[in-house]
Amino acid sequence: MEQMEKYNLKTLVIIPAYKEAKNLPRLFRELKEVPLDFDIVVINDCSPDDTEAVCRQHGIPVVSLPVNLGIGGAVQTGYKYALEHGYDIAVQMDGDGQHDPRFLKLVLSRIYEGYHMSIGSRFIEGKGYQSSLTRRAGIKFFSWLIKLLTGQYISDPTSGFRACSRELIRLFAGSYPKDYPEPETIVTALRNKYRIAEVPVIMRPRQSGESSITRNLAAYYMIKVTLAVIMAAIARKNGDGANEWNG
Amino acid sequence: MNGMGEMSSVLRIILIIGSLIFFVFIMNMVRTKKLELKYALTWILTSFSFVLLSIFPEILFFIAALMHIELPVNALYLCVISLLLLIVFTLSVAVSRQALRIKTLVQEIGLIKETLERMKKEG
Repeated sequence: MEQMEKYNLKTLVIIPAYKEAKNLPRLFRELKEVPLDFDIVVINDCSPDDTEAVCRQHGIPVVSLPVNLGIGGAVQTGYKYALEHGYDIAVQMDGDGQHDPRFLKLVLSRIYEGYHMSIGSRFIEGKGYQSSLTRRAGIKFFSWLIKLLTGQYISDPTSGFRACSRELIRLFAGSYPKDYPEPETIVTALRNKYRIAEVPVIMRPRQSGESSITRNLAAYYMIKVTLAVIMAAIARKNGDGANEWNG
Repeated sequence: MNGMGEMSSVLRIILIIGSLIFFVFIMNMVRTKKLELKYALTWILTSFSFVLLSIFPEILFFIAALMHIELPVNALYLCVISLLLLIVFTLSVAVSRQALRIKTLVQEIGLIKETLERMKKEG
């Protein structure tokens, strides 16, 4: 790991943000304390609050989308940014404070070891915020489904704390699901023979704001993601998934 | 007895007038370019066949006999529903394509804006 770092891989932290003006300053502060060399970009998904101003105050590059695209569209913009600027590694981190920058090094370590994707999982050690029982049941189901379809067990398939190598940056810049992208992209990556590893992280409950998946949407979420995951498993290789006609 | 066979002449006149108005409306939409020709084509054909059918309902009797459907009006329903399904599906495909294109454009605009601002800052 230390060896690879010497090669000075250009690393980008992508923070998709919608109405996160309150949470971002703390995240920026914590990121500054991390003893690693990386750049940050915030993708402001057309927030009505001061998200953009907060980024500027802190001198963080911010891509402001003129129209709200949802989490998938925002994250994909981050991958496009990474591709455009020639980054070797891109790390996704939520703007709501759930992901602790202290684990950044650990998440990155698997990429240094040659994995294409490294996922921060809150369930390996079971410490910290574990989310509600129903949610855990849903996540368990997706773990089972992904194991069934790809043969690999991913303990936290919905985790948005993940690092990607250059190959996956290219793949995701070209094609990325619109919403609830995490489980689907895992299957797409595995189907294209990319290697995924998980590392144990401790997540925190979100500081303020609400989750994108409310109770009423839970059933819709389960059905949609199940379908998306199955579609990704039978999609043509090279990420020619159901979600992207040629743009 | 056979559905539209004993259609009253009043109903027929109403249908003819209705379908003619529909046809003229569609043509006007195309003329004023409110409807893209690609999609207009379907509607021109549809409204034109409505006009034809209301003037010559015998066409429908022929189609019904051909398909072994007892009541001509059922043949009409079948044709219209199939056509509508086709149109709606085509539109879903079109909307998906547009959504993807819009998404790509929005992302591109965001990235360009960021580059522009950085260039401004750097002088």
